[in-house]
Amino acid sequence: MANILLNVLIAFLVGSILFGLQRKIMARIQMRPGPPIIQHLLHTLKFFIKESSFPKTAAMPFYIAITAMLCVIWVAAVIVGPVTGGSLLLIFAIYALHKIVEHNAGSSSGSPYGKLSCVRAVFSAAAEVPLFAVLIIIYLKSGTMVISNIISYQTIHGPLLYSIPLAAAMFFVLILSKAPYSPFAITKGKDIVSGYETEHFGLLRGYLMISESIAWYMLLWVFLTVFVGGLSPLWYLAGMIVLTTITAFINATTPILNPNHSIMMQVSFAVIGIVGSIVLLLYI
Amino acid sequence: MEKLYLASYSMFIISLASIGYALIFNPAYWIVYTISIVFIPTLILSFGLLVMARGPKEEDEDKTKEPFIGY
Repeated sequence: MANILLNVLIAFLVGSILFGLQRKIMARIQMRPGPPIIQHLLHTLKFFIKESSFPKTAAMPFYIAITAMLCVIWVAAVIVGPVTGGSLLLIFAIYALHKIVEHNAGSSSGSPYGKLSCVRAVFSAAAEVPLFAVLIIIYLKSGTMVISNIISYQTIHGPLLYSIPLAAAMFFVLILSKAPYSPFAITKGKDIVSGYETEHFGLLRGYLMISESIAWYMLLWVFLTVFVGGLSPLWYLAGMIVLTTITAFINATTPILNPNHSIMMQVSFAVIGIVGSIVLLLYI
Repeated sequence: MEKLYLASYSMFIISLASIGYALIFNPAYWIVYTISIVFIPTLILSFGLLVMARGPKEEDEDKTKEPFIGY
């Protein structure tokens, strides 16, 4: 239990700091001083003591329960990942549930912005879930879906990043789509205010931000573990900083795409990634 | 609001007790995982509901009676 609590705490703190780092890098690229790196963490904690009220049109208690659902799934991801080194299929299921939570958080609030975001969540799931199908490529290459076995495979055969680079690129696009201000972040596009989070303010926003920080940490953790191998905590941190910096560069220099373009680009990445990886596996 | 406060308080106590139980008595793995998945999020949420600031009572009615103008 102590191990799980520690891992959840680390995931939250590191995820929050990395989000802060991302905002800082984006600001510097755009010639702004930007907020301090710990700003995201401070915002998360600050929201807990802000005055909160619940919209009259919110579908209670679903409106509150859905925020808990997001936290439940990412705490489960921490247990499946760093704590037990379990199956990647469970991580895939958790990611699919994340899309459902985005959808339901939008629809439960009663806000038109939330509802638009809820429609976009379904729309984007059609593109992001195939991207997560990268796991099949990993299975075809390593013969296993269990994270601890994939680490052992890489200890013998070297990082999967070199043998299935297109699959790694696909997974990176998936990570990118979960970053704030990303070109693929259509569910939280500024044209719909804050998307499914628009009507979740005060403590519920802080609660969602905790889960999102854990989600960001977990996605980076899965990428590094599955494509680079088991690393020491310092190398994990270094890898996460590198990945966050790359996403910050991309996010700072690209606008948020409109939903159609975002989906088409993600689907194109998925098709190129899956077909290309299978060709690489067959002929190299 | 009073009902919400009572529910949050009970949720907080139950979550804290369950996590404490898993920490001290070291039960079977599946029990630890269940407690973690259910009660860590519940603990955070109930803590939030307890410490969140509430507006003045006289403003409460205005807030709930305000018509929804989103559509």
